[in-house]
Amino acid sequence: MNALIKLELTRALRNKKFLFFSVLYPAILFLIFAGSTGADDKVDGTGLTVATYLMVSMASFGALTAVLMGNSERIAKERESGWVRQLRLTPLPGRGYVLAKTASAAVVSLPSIVVVFLAAVAVKHVHLDAWQWLALTGVIWAGSLVFAALGVAIGYLASGDAVRPITMIVYFGLSILGGLWMPSTTFPRFLQDIAKWLPTHAYAALGRAIEQSQAPHAADVAVLAVYFVLFAGGAAWLYRKDTLKA
Amino acid sequence: MTTTAVPAATTTTVVGFDQVTKSYGGNRAVDGLSLRLHPGETVALLGPNGAGKSTTLDLLLGLKQPDSGTVSLFGGTPREAIVAGRVGAMLQSGGLMDEVTVTELVKLSCSLHPKPYPVSEVLARAGITQIADRKVNKLSGGQAQRVRFALATAGDSDLIILDEPTTGMDVSARQAFWATMREQADQGRTVLFATHYLEEADAIADRVLVLHRGRLLADGTAAEIKARAGARRISFDLDGEIDESALRALPALRTLDVSGQTVRAQSADPDATVHALYGLGLYPRNLEVAGLGLEQAFVAITQAEEAEQS
Repeated sequence: MNALIKLELTRALRNKKFLFFSVLYPAILFLIFAGSTGADDKVDGTGLTVATYLMVSMASFGALTAVLMGNSERIAKERESGWVRQLRLTPLPGRGYVLAKTASAAVVSLPSIVVVFLAAVAVKHVHLDAWQWLALTGVIWAGSLVFAALGVAIGYLASGDAVRPITMIVYFGLSILGGLWMPSTTFPRFLQDIAKWLPTHAYAALGRAIEQSQAPHAADVAVLAVYFVLFAGGAAWLYRKDTLKA
Repeated sequence: MTTTAVPAATTTTVVGFDQVTKSYGGNRAVDGLSLRLHPGETVALLGPNGAGKSTTLDLLLGLKQPDSGTVSLFGGTPREAIVAGRVGAMLQSGGLMDEVTVTELVKLSCSLHPKPYPVSEVLARAGITQIADRKVNKLSGGQAQRVRFALATAGDSDLIILDEPTTGMDVSARQAFWATMREQADQGRTVLFATHYLEEADAIADRVLVLHRGRLLADGTAAEIKARAGARRISFDLDGEIDESALRALPALRTLDVSGQTVRAQSADPDATVHALYGLGLYPRNLEVAGLGLEQAFVAITQAEEAEQS
């Protein structure tokens, strides 16, 4: 399986468009959104500066991009092309394909997190303790697994033609409604009520808690855990269905 | 093939189908199929479109599960045989990974196989050394077929399955392909291939399976299948106006085709047909009586089955 992970990675690193959108794009968005804010501008009710707040949002957004976009479209296309079938004629265990996809997405998502942090430090002078940087990286990276599972589920659900629009709707829906682009506190009341149950909202909240020198809130961890079970379970079920049909 | 002191391993059945049935909706793609393949055989699987060839290969490789009956490979399940690296397969429906080079893909296949060959050897055998650095999604149909063949022969497998392997290849590529395939068979491998080029089956296979509507219609050497069709072909030229209705009345005639001055026919009893031809006062020139080609035998057998069913 290592051979497949290696090849998936080679391929991902070779794809300039994918690299741009997952590694550079979140950092660029961060600089645009945080660009005009002053060092003392705070986000209401958080005690965090706008730049610090947005840094976690965009790092989460970057990780989300890398794992969701990479997985869903590739899986749907490769199911259609018959590559998934071809792999089933090798000793590679069935799960190996999905694991290799997820592992290579995770490797790409790490730089996308780090690049946002670097931009925040270099340009917006965000300052955190060493343990906070490490914890942030770890939490955002680990949390992206939830969306990797979602990507796999969409990849097995959608056809090759439908996968891109479906992924885009889910991706922008989750990003914007979950408050990754702008704080959800600026939303009207009813949207805020929806937002707080979204996985992206809980995901960014994990990082924000660390920035506030707190442990991640149990409620956010619980929401993410439920979504992970839901997405991974759905992916496993769709995978089995696809295997029987193929 | 007679050998003394057959080693125990070669007496086992390579492929075993036992009363296997598989339906889609109400349609029986494979209907009570039983067959056995033995080590070292080169077997052609023939059948018109929709005969159940692809489903049979899918069942054989464990990509589909039978509704009833059992499928075994080397005495175990298909999956066990694949995991042990005993089977290499090339399916028409098998896709290739995009955006990687031919070498990278072959290297992957080699590292997944429990008994791999060196990458350079696999590339050379499939005749793709020259296109090794090319991206997989930039290949022609015939080149992609050869890459699929490379993936199927990345390691030392005992059974090789090929589904329409020469589709998209030109004549010389096809000949080169079968030369390679014969080498594989000569090394004692069992080769099972589905094809719609009947001349390939005739030239390569030492056993031919004819599949029709999911059932095994014929199983034997190409010569036996031809004999089984029970007809021979007659061709001759006639001068002047040809009275086709008189020719149609000839005894034992199965088919008749008149084009220009040439008459081609199939007859269950060519002696009687030719005798009656002279009896009509006709004088056939360039008279030839020959056995059916595998293709004609195949058509005759499947048509007879169609007639019986309706």
